[in-house]
Amino acid sequence: MTVILRAENLSKRFGGLKAVDAVELELNDGEILGVIGPNGAGKTTLFSMIAGSIPPTTGRVLLEGNVISGGSPRRAVRAGVVRTHQIVRPFQNLTVLENVMVGAIYGKARPLGARERALEVLDFCSLRDRAPQLPGGLTLAGRKRLELARALATEPRVLLLDEVIAGVNPAEALHMADLIRSVREKRGLSIILIEHVMPAVMRLSDRVIVLDAGKKIAEGKPQQVVKDSRVIAAYLGESASAAASAQPGPAGSPTPTSGAAPASLPTPPANPTPASIPKKGPGGHQ
Amino acid sequence: MKLLPHWVSRPALVALLAALVVGAVLPKVLGLSVYSQNQVTETFLFVAAALAWNWMGGYLGQVSFGHSAMFGLGGFISARLLLALHLPFWLAWIVGGLVAAAYALVWGHPTLRLRGPYFSIATIGVGEATRLVMTYWEDLTGGSSGLSLPITPGLKSELYWWALALMALVIAASYSLRKSTFGLGLLAIKSDVDAAADVGISPTLMQDIVLLLSGFTVGVCGAFYASYQNFIEPGDMFGFDRSISFVLMAVIGGVGTIIGPALGAVVFVMLRQYLIGSYPQLYLGIYGLLLIVVILFEPLGMMGLFFRIARRFGLMRPEVEATLEAKAAVGGGAADPGARQGGAP
Amino acid sequence: MQRFTELVVAAVLLAGLYATMAYGLGLIYGVLRVVNLNHGGIIMAGAYIGWLLHEKFGIDPYLSIPVVVAVSFVLGIAIYRGLVRHLPRGPAGAVQSLLLLFGVWLVLRNAAYLLFTGNDQTIRTEYSTRSLAAFGLAVSVNRVAVFGIAVLTLVVLHLFLTRTFTGKAIRAVAQNADSCTLVGVDVERIYSLTFGIGTALAGLAGLLGASLFSFNPSYGSGDLLKSFVIVVLGGLGSVMGTAVAALILALVEVFAILALPAYLTGAVGFVLLVLVLVLRPGGLFGQRVLG
Repeated sequence: MTVILRAENLSKRFGGLKAVDAVELELNDGEILGVIGPNGAGKTTLFSMIAGSIPPTTGRVLLEGNVISGGSPRRAVRAGVVRTHQIVRPFQNLTVLENVMVGAIYGKARPLGARERALEVLDFCSLRDRAPQLPGGLTLAGRKRLELARALATEPRVLLLDEVIAGVNPAEALHMADLIRSVREKRGLSIILIEHVMPAVMRLSDRVIVLDAGKKIAEGKPQQVVKDSRVIAAYLGESASAAASAQPGPAGSPTPTSGAAPASLPTPPANPTPASIPKKGPGGHQ
Repeated sequence: MKLLPHWVSRPALVALLAALVVGAVLPKVLGLSVYSQNQVTETFLFVAAALAWNWMGGYLGQVSFGHSAMFGLGGFISARLLLALHLPFWLAWIVGGLVAAAYALVWGHPTLRLRGPYFSIATIGVGEATRLVMTYWEDLTGGSSGLSLPITPGLKSELYWWALALMALVIAASYSLRKSTFGLGLLAIKSDVDAAADVGISPTLMQDIVLLLSGFTVGVCGAFYASYQNFIEPGDMFGFDRSISFVLMAVIGGVGTIIGPALGAVVFVMLRQYLIGSYPQLYLGIYGLLLIVVILFEPLGMMGLFFRIARRFGLMRPEVEATLEAKAAVGGGAADPGARQGGAP
Repeated sequence: MQRFTELVVAAVLLAGLYATMAYGLGLIYGVLRVVNLNHGGIIMAGAYIGWLLHEKFGIDPYLSIPVVVAVSFVLGIAIYRGLVRHLPRGPAGAVQSLLLLFGVWLVLRNAAYLLFTGNDQTIRTEYSTRSLAAFGLAVSVNRVAVFGIAVLTLVVLHLFLTRTFTGKAIRAVAQNADSCTLVGVDVERIYSLTFGIGTALAGLAGLLGASLFSFNPSYGSGDLLKSFVIVVLGGLGSVMGTAVAALILALVEVFAILALPAYLTGAVGFVLLVLVLVLRPGGLFGQRVLG
């Protein structure tokens, strides 16, 4: 397998706070890499550095050996790396088609045939029939697909998806998961995925890295990562794991790690799974 | 063979050409008096200036209260060139416009990274600082006594056609800046600067280009105004009232629409003529009231009224009307108005 | 050295006035996200009310403070309730409120012009020219009084915002209006109250300024820009930040007199504004919200 994107010793410091701390990351060609971690772990900051919207304090990002970090988002997009936003940000004053056309035109500075390419992407994201509408009329799931479509229209090699599943209802979540898979299968993209909805990450990702307080604390196959004691500690909190290990259990009790390990990781409470909040109407996010 | 880009609509082109022809034969057909013809010339001139202001204020959502700086600079540079070098006036206009555009870039490139109110207030500062400096820079502006330009016989009536051509060019530019792929990028920037940057747009570059075009055009208008008036002084050319007048024309007609500011300029020139004649003490307050009333009741001005009528009588398909209205409106982006582009939080 | 000390003292005394007017602008922006472009209009109104009371009824400008504060407070609430409240929130509303408040400013200016003509006015009292001598420096009584009142106002305001329930509610709304609605704060009331306090500060600053400088209907437009420089430099709503920023602006202005020809000193504030906006849009002390 060839590595398509590599982040070397990537750090970002905001004043005294180290939002991202010496993270190393490799993305293989055609891979879906999940990035998980508690709130404030630095996931979105990591994305912003890879996508070129903020310059790293140290380190660099390479796409097939060429540095793409530290410039502008445009440089990253031209090279072939594009991101979506956790809180969807469609261009409210453009129609759905025009939103995607902006990506098609400016992504690779190719105005010719932009309309046709945009329509093809809309087809792919099941938004074709919404083309002449304003994005305000879409459901949250629709706007998330629009966000994805706009990014796809820039014809990237690597797609950075920031929570495209969280917040939509279960049926739409499944649809989005299928869409992400077909982005890889049919369009041949490599994907890095930040996601809070654990089952989705587990099913979609080939590999997962875990961030906590800016540091990469674990990496591996999804099934292995969820059993990692440091990961569990990060999710349940230091005190919980400390208490668990300090507890003088009865003789012959399992090690704290395996004993406390839940079958699957709990979802952080701030980001409810679709199952727990089945309906988040069309106006979920503003 | 395709002669025109795909975004040029034939009806729009035909309408512009027709208007141009009507404008060209108007003085002859109506037998306009010298006075009326001059009024029309001035109206054409301000239509051009208002549209150029709208490229910043409406297309980018960057409301400038300092466009008098470029208007005045264009005027005085071209006046000095006419006096010193006896250049043909059109050449002097172009040079005046270029200097104004360069000046716009000098202050605009740094300030355009600011959005919304932050940018607007910076422009108040730029406008006032320019006025102060220019009022005392006697070598350029002649100080408070101003500059007189030689009166060329017949020039005033000839300027009618020049103003018509200038206006037609600016209308065509306004149309292109909205409908072209470049225009789509501007709309994206207005809606959400950061999201636009994330799909490969360079907001800095595009905003600079628009400012250059806007500054150039307003500079040419100032230069034109100088030749047309024969006498200019800094208090009038660089005054705050001058900047406000551009804002008002656009607001009355419809900020952010393609043709609204042109309608607004027509109304404004007539209104000002009337007010200065009848209520010289009140005109500032009436401008203020107009701003308040338009913003409160019809933020898209005359075009907003037109949209309303179109909706009422089914002249336009509702979704077409809705998308037109959305393009004119200031974007609905989530970004803080004071936030810088692509900056760290 | 003597000259240097004089200039520093002059700057410090001026900074009090600057901080008062800037805090009014910053408070409104911090809570409502609206730039009160009519700030200059209220400052001008404050000056004329003080002048009118002094001319017609012989009331000392310092005694008319309650009247001026009350009138500009009510004026602010009327402007908020009658006009600003009806605009949409968010970026669209930001541009619209800018234009709207600009319109109000034009109306006020025109009204002042009709009522009082465009001539320069001053408030002259018998102590206008008197000065205090201390440490070998002569300092105008008026300037010291203005400074004292400004400092007192800012202290009271700081206590109000940090110690009282309403003040805490204002700070909470500045942080997150939606959450405040959820816990039962009447956000609309807080908005109109804040707008009123902001304009009251502007009116007070206008009155204080009028006891030092001459004024006419355009008075206040320079102060709007100065206030804005200070708000941007000092960050939102922090009393200390505002005070330090006001001092910086005052020092720059006062010392510019030494280095620049007189007509250019007026441009110093504007240049500083652009520099500050470009170099430190988050303020010298970073973004802070009211406290």
